Amino acid sequence: MSGDARLQVAFGGLHPERVRTLYDRYGPSGTLRRIVGGAIETTDRVRREVGIPAAERLRRLGEAGIAVVRRGETGYPEHLADLPDAPDLVFVRGELPSMPGVAVVGTRRCTSYGRRIAGEYGRAIAEAGWVLVSGLARGVDGAAHSGTVSAGGVGVAVLGSGIDVMYPREHADLARQLLENGGAVISESPPGTPPEAWRFPPRNRIISGLAVAVVVVEATVKGGALITAESALVHGRQVFAVPGDISRASSAGCNLLIRDGAFPVHDPDDLIESLELVLGPGSRTGRKQASAELSDSDIRLIELVEAGANDLDTLMARGVGGPGEILAALGRLELLGVVSTDGSGRYLPTGR
Amino acid sequence: MLSHVTSVVLVGSEPRRVDVEAFIGGGKPKIHIVGLPDTAVREARQRVTAALKASGWSFPNRPVIVNLAPADVPKGGSAYDLPIAIAVLAAARLIPAHAARVVALGELALDGRVRAVRGGLGAARIAGELDVPCLLPPDSAAEADALGDGAHVCAVRSLGEAVAVALGEQPGAPIPELRTPETVVADLAEVRGQALVRRALEIVAAGGHHILMTGPPGGGKTMMARCLPGILPRLTGADVVETALTWAAAGLARPDPSLAPFRSPHHSASLAALIGGGSGIPVPGEAALAHNGVLFLDELGEFPVHLLDALRQPMEEGSVVVARKGASVRFATAFQLVAATNPCPCGFEGDAIKQCECSPQEVSRYKRRLSGPLLDRFDIVVPVPRVESAAMAGAPGEASVDVAQRVAAARKRQQVRGMANARMRRRHLDRLHWDDGVLQMLERAMRRSALTARGWDRVRRVASTIADLAESEVILESHIAEALAFRGQQ
Repeated sequence: MSGDARLQVAFGGLHPERVRTLYDRYGPSGTLRRIVGGAIETTDRVRREVGIPAAERLRRLGEAGIAVVRRGETGYPEHLADLPDAPDLVFVRGELPSMPGVAVVGTRRCTSYGRRIAGEYGRAIAEAGWVLVSGLARGVDGAAHSGTVSAGGVGVAVLGSGIDVMYPREHADLARQLLENGGAVISESPPGTPPEAWRFPPRNRIISGLAVAVVVVEATVKGGALITAESALVHGRQVFAVPGDISRASSAGCNLLIRDGAFPVHDPDDLIESLELVLGPGSRTGRKQASAELSDSDIRLIELVEAGANDLDTLMARGVGGPGEILAALGRLELLGVVSTDGSGRYLPTGR
Repeated sequence: MLSHVTSVVLVGSEPRRVDVEAFIGGGKPKIHIVGLPDTAVREARQRVTAALKASGWSFPNRPVIVNLAPADVPKGGSAYDLPIAIAVLAAARLIPAHAARVVALGELALDGRVRAVRGGLGAARIAGELDVPCLLPPDSAAEADALGDGAHVCAVRSLGEAVAVALGEQPGAPIPELRTPETVVADLAEVRGQALVRRALEIVAAGGHHILMTGPPGGGKTMMARCLPGILPRLTGADVVETALTWAAAGLARPDPSLAPFRSPHHSASLAALIGGGSGIPVPGEAALAHNGVLFLDELGEFPVHLLDALRQPMEEGSVVVARKGASVRFATAFQLVAATNPCPCGFEGDAIKQCECSPQEVSRYKRRLSGPLLDRFDIVVPVPRVESAAMAGAPGEASVDVAQRVAAARKRQQVRGMANARMRRRHLDRLHWDDGVLQMLERAMRRSALTARGWDRVRRVASTIADLAESEVILESHIAEALAFRGQQ
């Protein structure tokens, strides 16, 4: 049973490239035999892990509520299967959506500008009724996921660690909400795998594999986001980049991508329109029906916030009232979930 | 051949009477100063000897004993020169004995001039109680006079003049105007943009709340903090005197006695410097100097944990007892805490333009240091972003005097209720008049943002101040909503 061999080998947590080389030479069963027998040099731990029979593995995974989806089986994302270097199997928590998604990625150390933009795209993708794919990392990834979650959309988080190892830990809540919204957390590394640095570049190919398009929000020239963009190009996905300040290191990656032919996007609508050709018309939910609790001045305020007048100074300059008045309105709108703040004094529309 | 002159020692902010006694015996010439003098007091003998000579008297050619009673309270500084000189003259019968019926304070120069010292206000109060003249150097006299305790005060410029005034031969020198230097306080008119922070400052000034400002370097956190004294109500009556006496005990003059004090200790300050201490009689620390005013802790994250812990009791009880060998003193410490911090070690985490250079671990470690009991003390946490150049070019903001008027009106409402809003506990808050919709709103907020009971009280405290600023007896939904907006910035 080569499928079982593949499952057992996967628990060794070896680098995907190495596994592929071994399979090419020995086939899955041969590889398994040679690892367990010691003919292939690995650590004792890998030998021990790989040696556990597939049936036992499946039982334990079942207990932990983790599904295994193998390449070639139903349920394996079709889009991912297109990749020449698609993972043999992925571990999944939640429901892996059948439709391809849109990836939003970027640097972990983003500016509040990047965080805001990422949140907007995450939200816009959710509102269009599409699936957001990202890496649940700090910074841009996390912001994009929160954007989707806050708009009630479906997201897939692709982890570099095992799917039961939450890294960064502060995103555990976000992951939970994502699952509650009908999304999924997936990884090709076996459960329990720590977040080792070398696991992230291979992870990035899965992000681009699950998506029809990759949007890079903020990236340095050397960051992982560019690796994702690169594999997106190799896989024939569309690459979008959000242009940024040319003097800012955190935008240098995006600007480089644009120079190299990536499609620059200026606002979420831009992106949605470009993608409707591929993904079919988005089912935009629209906010305008909102609740009767909004007064005319509330709606005016929301429109201003949407137009980028997002802090108290700017709003006051637009003549919508004194500081106390505006803050009271913003506080109430925040409570209604119509706007949110990132803790830097700026407000964002949440689109609900 | 005994005489005594009265002087003063400050124990905390309380002036206590000191009797400077001089006795001249028989035997070899020698001078002893007893009564727990410090080195500066002990060196008075050289200054007094020279000053007497320069003023036309000669130092008695016999043993002189000077006692500073009560003998078990430590005395320090150079302010006892003048009373010692007068007591010695009277004991030596060089001047009539009734010349010693004065309260005196002042340092002597070698040529007999009198130099300014701190604590003139305390001496003036003692003189008032005893109903005798109070001889003070002109600048010290000016301070005492400005604070309304000047009835007995006589300014004296030299030892000779002091004796003449003590004998009633001439009135004191004219008391100069108190020099009020340009205050160090910043004016809100200089602040451009930053509407959120301006509003936050107005609220904390009106309610006496503690505030934490977070933001990258260059946002103007320090400057904004310096604006606070200018919008706080002016000190009145006993508060002016108490604060001036406390400052005097630390050897400091108040440039503008009715302005709320502003103290900004560095994070390398010692525990004694912050809370009070020192040898002998405890000297007030920054917490006591900021009483009735603002204690500003810049770079809060850099302050060692033990210092921040030590501030908790003074903050909660409004006073702190510092015990030393010389005395155990209670200092009033009802200050308003204003703290500023960067969001991370490099300061740019979450900035709109500049990328943060810290590792995520560094950022979370930095934030952890600020967490817990300390953060709980701040009713308002407000972000101070860097101002964009467009806003810098805009019109200047509202001036401090205008904001101060609204603040004063709000404070007056609180006085009627009996306490500053910042000091209200849950039972006080429950007694306020809340609008009907408020409860639902709070419940909604608690569900939405995991607002804790303590967080709830903070929101209610801030809302009550916002209502006071709006001159509303009832705390309305809009007041709660604004308080929640500030809460959202955390």
